Amino acid sequence: LTFPVGYSAVALNHVIDFKEKKQEIVKPVSPSELFPSLPVVQGTSKRIKVLTRLTLVVSDPSHCNLLRSTSANIRLYDIIAVFPKTEKLFHIACTTLDVDLVCINVTEKLPFYFRRPPVNMAIDRGIYFELLYTPAIKDSTMRRYTISNAISLMQICKGKNIVISSAAERPLELRGPYDVANLGLLFGLSEGEAKAAVSTNCRATMLHGETRKSACGVVYTVKKPRKVEEEETTLPACKKAKTQA
Amino acid sequence: RALRRYVLCEVVSEDPRCRQCIEDRAVGLAVRDAIGRVHGDYGLACCSISFTVKYLNAYTGTVLLRCRKDSYRLLCSALPFVRQLESRAQRYPCILNTLHVGGTIRTCQKFLIQYNRRQLLMLLQNCTNEEERRCIQKSLLSCSIAEEQSQSGDEEDDDGTE
Repeated sequence: LTFPVGYSAVALNHVIDFKEKKQEIVKPVSPSELFPSLPVVQGTSKRIKVLTRLTLVVSDPSHCNLLRSTSANIRLYDIIAVFPKTEKLFHIACTTLDVDLVCINVTEKLPFYFRRPPVNMAIDRGIYFELLYTPAIKDSTMRRYTISNAISLMQICKGKNIVISSAAERPLELRGPYDVANLGLLFGLSEGEAKAAVSTNCRATMLHGETRKSACGVVYTVKKPRKVEEEETTLPACKKAKTQA
Repeated sequence: RALRRYVLCEVVSEDPRCRQCIEDRAVGLAVRDAIGRVHGDYGLACCSISFTVKYLNAYTGTVLLRCRKDSYRLLCSALPFVRQLESRAQRYPCILNTLHVGGTIRTCQKFLIQYNRRQLLMLLQNCTNEEERRCIQKSLLSCSIAEEQSQSGDEEDDDGTE
């Protein structure tokens, strides 16, 4: 089923919950096993990029040791997210843990309030906060919790470093990027921030994951104009880029 | 001066029978119901001041909604919450995908023509039949603002390739 909703990269999630007995991190399922032929991005001829992602539900500080251990399987995942259940763990996740995303609970009232110092540290480190929107579509009480948790997060982080994603289990629970940006408006983001939450912040999370995997850094090469007379002609283009951003 | 916003969306569904029940009353009711669920009585009242379904294309699932400029944000933020379409005692789960928001019907029309042209190009890539290929190429070449009506006949290929 080629579902034309207009995304160019998708991440498949694998959740690990530590409340059950000792779980081992399994190797991520390779995307080529799931889809015989990846669907093409709408409008271009490139295939959709499928990444793998691991979510750790932590309710105890000892669970975090798994991240620090050099288990080979963890390195195979492209993006790592952590779902803290207590304030202390939220603090640890924002300040010291080596993750790309911190999931914010949307299905129940938060047991703790966000404080500014760990949130600011997370923003400096390049960690993004993730909000899910599929529970909001399904159920009315979840919708209220989603909106109230999201707005309280916005007040602390001022709309920076937010990623909105869906925890869809069925294709009909997905929404197109324009619609998800409109949902961001409901959460208290401004229009530019909402669009960034769907596009640039997600891309930055992918790069952050790549940085973490390669352990040194990501070099982004951009062609620079060499000749002096060319600089004159590229100036109006830069000005246009600034007004568009 | 009555300023309006026209929201262009696309109905996407897994069930091919859903296309048959795309009609203006069903879509209008589904959207109003979603606004009522999300924004409550105030939102419903605000959005229904000048709310109508202006244009509907059952073959491609394209819907053009009209609302006031003051309340288009309420409408747009409630569109993701549309879950199903009901008509004639049948309900089909579906989603509304927002394509474009414009100030006049003409801008939405221009966008729709470009969008349909891109869709036809994609269909052209997946064509297996020589006959279909010729049909699509002919309709691609005849795309323009004056001739927008002639596209709806050739777009029946959409149902075939899904």
